[in-house]
Amino acid sequence: MHPRSFLRSFLKIIAVAAVLAWSLAPILLIFMSSFKADRDIFAVPPRLGFSPTLDNYVALVTRWGDFFSGLLNSLIVTVGATILAVLTSAMAGYAYSRFRHRILAGSAFFLIFIRLIPPIVITLPLFPAVNALGLSDTHLILIVLYATFFVSLGTLVMRTFIDQIPKEVDEAAHIDGATRGQILRKIILPLSAQGMVAVAVFVIVYAWNEFLFAFIFTTTRAKTAPLVISEMIGAVEGVEWGVLFAASTVQLLPILLFVVLAQKHLVAGLTAGATKG
Amino acid sequence: MKLSPSMRDSTRRVPTPWPAIALISPVHFLIGAIIFVPALYVAWLSLTQSSFGQQPVFVGFENYAQVLGDPYFWRALGNTVLVVLIVVHLELLLGLGVALLFASGLRAMPLLLAAVLAPYAVSEVSAVVMWRYLFDLDIGYVSQALAWLGLPALEWAINPTHGLILVALLSIWLHLPFTFVILYAARLAIPRELYEAAEVDGATPLQQFRRVTLPLLVPAILIAVLFRYIFAFRLFSEVWLLTGGGPARQTEVLAVYLYLEAFRYNAFGEAAATGWLLVLASLILALWYLRRLYKDMFATYAP
Repeated sequence: MHPRSFLRSFLKIIAVAAVLAWSLAPILLIFMSSFKADRDIFAVPPRLGFSPTLDNYVALVTRWGDFFSGLLNSLIVTVGATILAVLTSAMAGYAYSRFRHRILAGSAFFLIFIRLIPPIVITLPLFPAVNALGLSDTHLILIVLYATFFVSLGTLVMRTFIDQIPKEVDEAAHIDGATRGQILRKIILPLSAQGMVAVAVFVIVYAWNEFLFAFIFTTTRAKTAPLVISEMIGAVEGVEWGVLFAASTVQLLPILLFVVLAQKHLVAGLTAGATKG
Repeated sequence: MKLSPSMRDSTRRVPTPWPAIALISPVHFLIGAIIFVPALYVAWLSLTQSSFGQQPVFVGFENYAQVLGDPYFWRALGNTVLVVLIVVHLELLLGLGVALLFASGLRAMPLLLAAVLAPYAVSEVSAVVMWRYLFDLDIGYVSQALAWLGLPALEWAINPTHGLILVALLSIWLHLPFTFVILYAARLAIPRELYEAAEVDGATPLQQFRRVTLPLLVPAILIAVLFRYIFAFRLFSEVWLLTGGGPARQTEVLAVYLYLEAFRYNAFGEAAATGWLLVLASLILALWYLRRLYKDMFATYAP
């Protein structure tokens, strides 16, 4: 091999190794440490070998029952927000792809403009309003909030995907006597399934992990898993790292697996949403 | 007066597309009720004196004066700007580096991509657990490694600057996947022929980067940076969970300042004023983007 190209591939391997270490080391660390006994977690200097134990998970189950109802709440909120966001975005995306009118120009601008408003700002009036409506600490309020903060991006992504379906397909169905609703349900939605998956990926990751709204709007009944973990961080001044690692691992693994499996859709959605805006 | 056919055409009323309006109304109802109307209400709140259960009283710009005269606000603003500048620009450099590395052709691409995207799946809360542990002063691996190298430790819980550095590191780690994906996709969209032509003309790799890659990546870089500016500006969870704004309110950022004003000190007027300053800052940052967008939208939908 040519010495210069050898040097180049050597440097490339070093760079790739550095990128992998940066991205994966923190994740691997809590995953591995969740199977460590306290004496291994607190070992100075760190020991390489350790005998794995499930003690932390046992402690999580026996002492933090809250965490598992938190997981269930997270699941309910995530499923609800995803369905709401995907359905409304698909309908709007279809309209923005197929119709032309000044109203659509103005409202499309509004849709993206609204993304500039920081979520924390709207908590000020929403907090008393949500309390007055009796929606505080419910799944419903989180579902609506999470879906709302992703319908702008969702509509853009859906429009991009529906734009790729030739208009002739709708026209042919129209001539065959299909109504708008039938065209949307029987033709457009199945053909833009990839777009719906891309939108779903965004919403699922966001709703599963979100902290700010959960922190402000839920206290006990609808408390999500990230909020329970944050309480555990607050409670670990005596430092119960092991339980914390176990909880983080349980919260992280399903969504990590999902992102890895859906990475193609995540990349497609991110690029469609950012560049077509 | 007789109208020419083209004039008559342009003045003819375009029929209102009712089906389209029905289709977009759920999305706009959500946005209107949850974001737009509350944001306007915040503007009103920012001009009044109020707290929970009290009737708001109009006070003009007093809240703004109050906020702008509060040293903690300026501290929070300074911290926010510092963290945003560090995070967005370091993230851009790293994202660009990784995008170019990946575009240069590597083996096992799907696996490598999955690895780089992995932090996207991590919640802020779990990320805080990871980085707090890594930098724990007694048992953290990074702290121990720094000590072993004879370097000073990052005393993030005691020293405000160090705390903000850890916040910045954590933010970059969480959001690098976004910046990377935008730049990587843009880099892959550059036609291979351009590089072949440059090579024929005898361009060195550095010249190829400066004359081909960089100019063609500019639009994607601007978009990635704009979005990251806007989102980094609302930074809340990382700071709240890592330092809580402490010690002695020294690491607060604007969103944390707003939260504390509203929910701890019950000063809704001041919090609302801070909120509108945040909104205005975002709007100013995004002005050129909004202008372009406005033209694009009308060019597409109402030519």
